[in-house]
Amino acid sequence: MEMTEAIVRAASAVGAGLAMIAGIGPGIGQGYAAGKAAEAVGRQPEAKGDITSTMLFGCAVAESTGIYGLVVAMILLFANPLI
Amino acid sequence: MNAPIPAPQVSGPQIFFTIPILGGIHITETIVNGWLVVAIISLVCFFLGRNLSTRNPSRRQIAVEKLVSMLSNLLQETMGKNNMFFLPYIGALFAYSMLSSLLGLTGLRAPTGDLNTTIGFALIAFFLIQFFNIKNKGFFGWLKGFSEPVFFLTPLNIISEIANPISMAFRHFGNIASGIVITSLIYYALASVSRLLIGWIPVIGSIPILQVGIPAFLSIYFDVFTSFLQAYIISMLTMVYVGGANEAQSE
Amino acid sequence: MEFVSIDTWTIIFTWINLIILMFVMKKLLFKPVMKMLAERENEVGSMYEKAESAQQNAEKLEGEYTQKLSEAKEEAARIMKDATDAANKKGEQIVFEAQQKASASILKAQKEIEREKLNAVSEIKKDIASIAVSVAEKVIEKDINEKDYERLVEEFIESSGEEK
Repeated sequence: MEMTEAIVRAASAVGAGLAMIAGIGPGIGQGYAAGKAAEAVGRQPEAKGDITSTMLFGCAVAESTGIYGLVVAMILLFANPLI
Repeated sequence: MNAPIPAPQVSGPQIFFTIPILGGIHITETIVNGWLVVAIISLVCFFLGRNLSTRNPSRRQIAVEKLVSMLSNLLQETMGKNNMFFLPYIGALFAYSMLSSLLGLTGLRAPTGDLNTTIGFALIAFFLIQFFNIKNKGFFGWLKGFSEPVFFLTPLNIISEIANPISMAFRHFGNIASGIVITSLIYYALASVSRLLIGWIPVIGSIPILQVGIPAFLSIYFDVFTSFLQAYIISMLTMVYVGGANEAQSE
Repeated sequence: MEFVSIDTWTIIFTWINLIILMFVMKKLLFKPVMKMLAERENEVGSMYEKAESAQQNAEKLEGEYTQKLSEAKEEAARIMKDATDAANKKGEQIVFEAQQKASASILKAQKEIEREKLNAVSEIKKDIASIAVSVAEKVIEKDINEKDYERLVEEFIESSGEEK
């Protein structure tokens, strides 16, 4: 039994690491958004406030996939339902 | 050798006591801290909303006016004029979410670091959206709305409708909880590092000196920035979704 | 409790907290601030109204004063003209009277002259008669030639003719 638990724990840790691969997507997306926002600010410096708030809002929404991965990883690490 | 450092304890909110009715009501850290937040906000509101004068406003009053008019302008832009009655709810949501997250700075457990709180926020938005959809389209119109544009998309529509509150709840929870997790991991790491560096000194070595100060910089990002951003996001999303559901009527 | 877990009571307590907070914020913050903002708007609006009415009033008064002023000027001009007319009339009258007096005195003087003249003529006639008588006496006394006689007669006739 102890062996099984150990295997489940190890697999969960690996799974948590794999789940965090989801962080790639939001990273790319947010970087792209920030780049576009920088472009927009360069083109229209007077609209900086609007652009920044819109970008932050979009970033936070785009982040949700990464957050899902994070939540899955945290469930696997700290609240593992399999054990 | 020194005693081993305890592994980082990342656990859910602790249960203070249980009221033995209705299958046991757990009074958790989340609930108690939530009350604390409500008390703080009520006190702040009490002090902010006092002694308002139409002429010669004090500095405090100017700030309050600015805050209120900013919020009401935001609300008007996103939800339209006929939804202005949401102002108190949005204000309460924003303040509760932000102060709950900021409570993490004090060492108490942030109520928004508990999934139940954010699910509460999201469910209110979900119920409001469905309520306004039923109210504006009628019950059968609301049911019919799920089978649009093609009948076999119904399951997908239902899933996307349910995914909305789940994504809202998990986004907020994940951001704050990741802050909690990362902060505790950093404390653990700093304890280890300080033991490695100065652990051989007899008395001072048992004090994890590096834990002082360094986490503060990180918590400025993880707590202050994220708190504000997540409070803004959840109020904004609530406004956009509920406003979108209640807009069909005015058209 | 577990790190990620769902507890219905926590959700319900969150709702209760939110609803309490909503009413508290509405009562303590939003209502007073909104009321104050509306009041200020009203106050500013009424101030504008007052200022506008005051301006209108001032314009009206200005118009009245201008009118009154022009009226007064007209009045003054009229009085001036009246006075001038009266003075002119009086002057004319005085001049006329003076002229009348002058012409009357001239007439009187002429009459006097006439009378004096008549007097003089009659006296001269008397004189001439006496002279003629004396001349005749002298002629009679002295010898006069034909020629002198004729001349005397002629002269006499002439002079008496002139007198006539």
